[in-house]
Amino acid sequence: MSKSQKTPANSLAVSRRGLLLGAAAGGVGAALPHTATAAKAEDMVKPDPMETEYPFYGTGGQAGIATPPQRHAMFMSFDLTTDKRGDLQVLLARWSAAIGLMMRGKAISAVESDHEYAVKLETGEALDLGPAGLTVTVGLGPRVFGPEYGLAAHRPPLMRPLKALPSDALHPEWTGGDLSLQACAEDPQVAYHAIRVLSRIAKRLNAASVRWTVMGFGRASAGKGQVTPRNLFGFRDGTRNIREPAAMARHVWLNDGPEWQRGGTYQVARKIEMHIENWDTDQVSDQNAVFGRHKATGAPLGSKAEFDTPDFAKRDADGNPMIPVNAHIRLAAREHNDGTQILRRSYNYTDGLNDVARLDAGLLFISYQNDPANFEALQTKLGAADALNEYITHVGSALFFVPPAAPEGSYLGAPLFA
Amino acid sequence: MLRSRLFRATTTQAVFGLSLLLAQGAIADTAPVKNGASQISVTLTGDNGGQCVLDHNSAAAGPVTFTITNLSAPAISEFELQSGSRIFGEKENLAPGLPASTFTVTLDGGEYQIYCPGAAQQKAVAFAVTGNTATHAQGTTADLLNTGTEGYTRYVDGMVDAMIVAATRLQDDIDNGDLGAAKAAYANARPFYERIETDVEGFFLPGFAPTDNAGNLDYLIDMRASNLDPAVGWHGFHAVERDLFGAGKITDDTKALAAELVANVTKLGTLAKGLTYRPEDLANGAAALLEEVQSGKITGEEEAFSHIDLVDFAGNVEGAQQAFAFLQPGIRQIDPDLSARIEAQFTAVLGMLEEYRDPNALGGYVTYTNVLRASDAVKLSKAIQNLQEPLAQISEKVATAS
Repeated sequence: MSKSQKTPANSLAVSRRGLLLGAAAGGVGAALPHTATAAKAEDMVKPDPMETEYPFYGTGGQAGIATPPQRHAMFMSFDLTTDKRGDLQVLLARWSAAIGLMMRGKAISAVESDHEYAVKLETGEALDLGPAGLTVTVGLGPRVFGPEYGLAAHRPPLMRPLKALPSDALHPEWTGGDLSLQACAEDPQVAYHAIRVLSRIAKRLNAASVRWTVMGFGRASAGKGQVTPRNLFGFRDGTRNIREPAAMARHVWLNDGPEWQRGGTYQVARKIEMHIENWDTDQVSDQNAVFGRHKATGAPLGSKAEFDTPDFAKRDADGNPMIPVNAHIRLAAREHNDGTQILRRSYNYTDGLNDVARLDAGLLFISYQNDPANFEALQTKLGAADALNEYITHVGSALFFVPPAAPEGSYLGAPLFA
Repeated sequence: MLRSRLFRATTTQAVFGLSLLLAQGAIADTAPVKNGASQISVTLTGDNGGQCVLDHNSAAAGPVTFTITNLSAPAISEFELQSGSRIFGEKENLAPGLPASTFTVTLDGGEYQIYCPGAAQQKAVAFAVTGNTATHAQGTTADLLNTGTEGYTRYVDGMVDAMIVAATRLQDDIDNGDLGAAKAAYANARPFYERIETDVEGFFLPGFAPTDNAGNLDYLIDMRASNLDPAVGWHGFHAVERDLFGAGKITDDTKALAAELVANVTKLGTLAKGLTYRPEDLANGAAALLEEVQSGKITGEEEAFSHIDLVDFAGNVEGAQQAFAFLQPGIRQIDPDLSARIEAQFTAVLGMLEEYRDPNALGGYVTYTNVLRASDAVKLSKAIQNLQEPLAQISEKVATAS
């Protein structure tokens, strides 16, 4: 596979994606895509998403956060199985090297060997698929900064287990973890391959074992320049999401604290079951009231178009608020939460039928924020009163610190071990 | 499942298509000696798709220390020193940003090659050692491995003998119509086969095609519902298990099945005893035993009637652990880190199995009920997974050991 040399992470690449480029970055180089084909002026056609390539190495935040959401994701949480700091160090270095290769569409080892008895690390199922816009984002859980690895001095100040929140119905098997991987790509097989190979590296080093995983599809949060996608309830999700670099800088990235944490962020992952059958048999007018938006257009109730600012004061002929008091968008709105915003980067998931023959499906909610308390504040309010709670259950949850991107020649989290 | 012995051709060691010569006219650049060892620095860079660069391409015979630094080559995680197809030393887990790693190896005069899998140039770098060194105080790694395989051969022979004795005991209890004693004898007979099953599968009775289960001794001894061939029907241990634990009674059919089982394990003993093994056979066998644990025991599929899956589980693990233990003196020389990791994982798995011991239960382990499977299968599977990945690496290492 011949790919052109990648653009340095801190330069602005211009590609056939045109306006999408540079938009998502928020001044963060690692978020900038470029395609393997040189741009030509007459060539402003839709690029082949399988050729989209994002740099892994760079400065600022890791790829996969401000990156425009790709179509598919696989999230996996891991338990550390070692008590040695050196094992964790080697794992992060090996993971970084492997991610750096895979994001360029490269295999991480030869597939075959001259040795009859060789067992190869490269599993092969993503060969020839190209980079496919792959990003892999690594998160560090609370235990990494606990006493056993001698890294407590590096603990990000806001790192702690998430508080218990109203309506939490968390299953231990889908909760927590010491490390997280979020692989996103335009092809599900590319995302799957990345997680599969990285989990093998973890087991090979006896450093970590798999804890829980969700495979996501149909990005359910819009990035800049993207049509707002829909969640499995059929509603547009992410209309008011953070898009602008200035807002990213204010709400997502850490701009202070220890040097090595700047450009980092906190990742919240929640597995949210949707009660699909109940929702599907609910009247659409009630569905609209639950969200506070029109299902078809995404327009706030009482407004005309999707991107109209919701008018929370507007009342109907009977004097009732057009957007009900317990509507999802009212409770979540920055206007009612001291301006709090979080970057949502969620995906839909499905896993066949559950043990009572209902569709096992929902939302893999992933958010990025520079203070986990911001997520907690929003979910405290939603978990207590959201009309949507009748149709969803939060069954899984975890919090991770996402260190900044690694420069070439280094690896994610390297300053921890200096 | 790894290839069984039946289909194994005698292997010819693959030889790398490597250039073994220094470039014509190149003047060998001899490494300086420090602390009694020649010092070679190896630098891995991402330049031109990945390079593996030595500061000196020659050293005097004797101890040679290689210091390897991965500056910027994400594709290169391993460094190997070879001569022909034999590996004399290696270092793994090299990644950009990690501190330098070193290893020291005592080399005789001759032509060697430095090989960095994943480098753009898949060709090895020639490395010359001049002069002769004193003989090694210890035997070579290959000697240690061969001594280990001889010991393992005796272990397998002992298991085969014990299996025949235990199966005969099972037949006696069945012939006596003693259901309780037969159940206990069944559980006591299982571990012997489970410890060595990957060594003794792949034998066929004379006159049968390799695809005909009617002549496949492994099928006739150890088939189960999940791999039932309707053309051949029920035979062996699990047919007896079905009668004792499923139907809960001993019939004339049961007695016939038990007699057939003893006849077949006796035939197997004749075929399996005195086999010779190569180190890679032990490594492959150990890995295959862990595959058996994952595919048959943790699922509860192996002992569908008696639910003594944990007895079989322990048997597979013990067999794998024995195979590894016989190889370990050699593996320790090849890759001490890996050896220690595998040992630690075996200790963890065996320690975990201790929690399930019950001297009053059949075979000495608690019954693997649906409830226990629901609550504990994840833990069991993860422990085996954490052993499988590192163990998977030893076969290639012992096959290419010098």
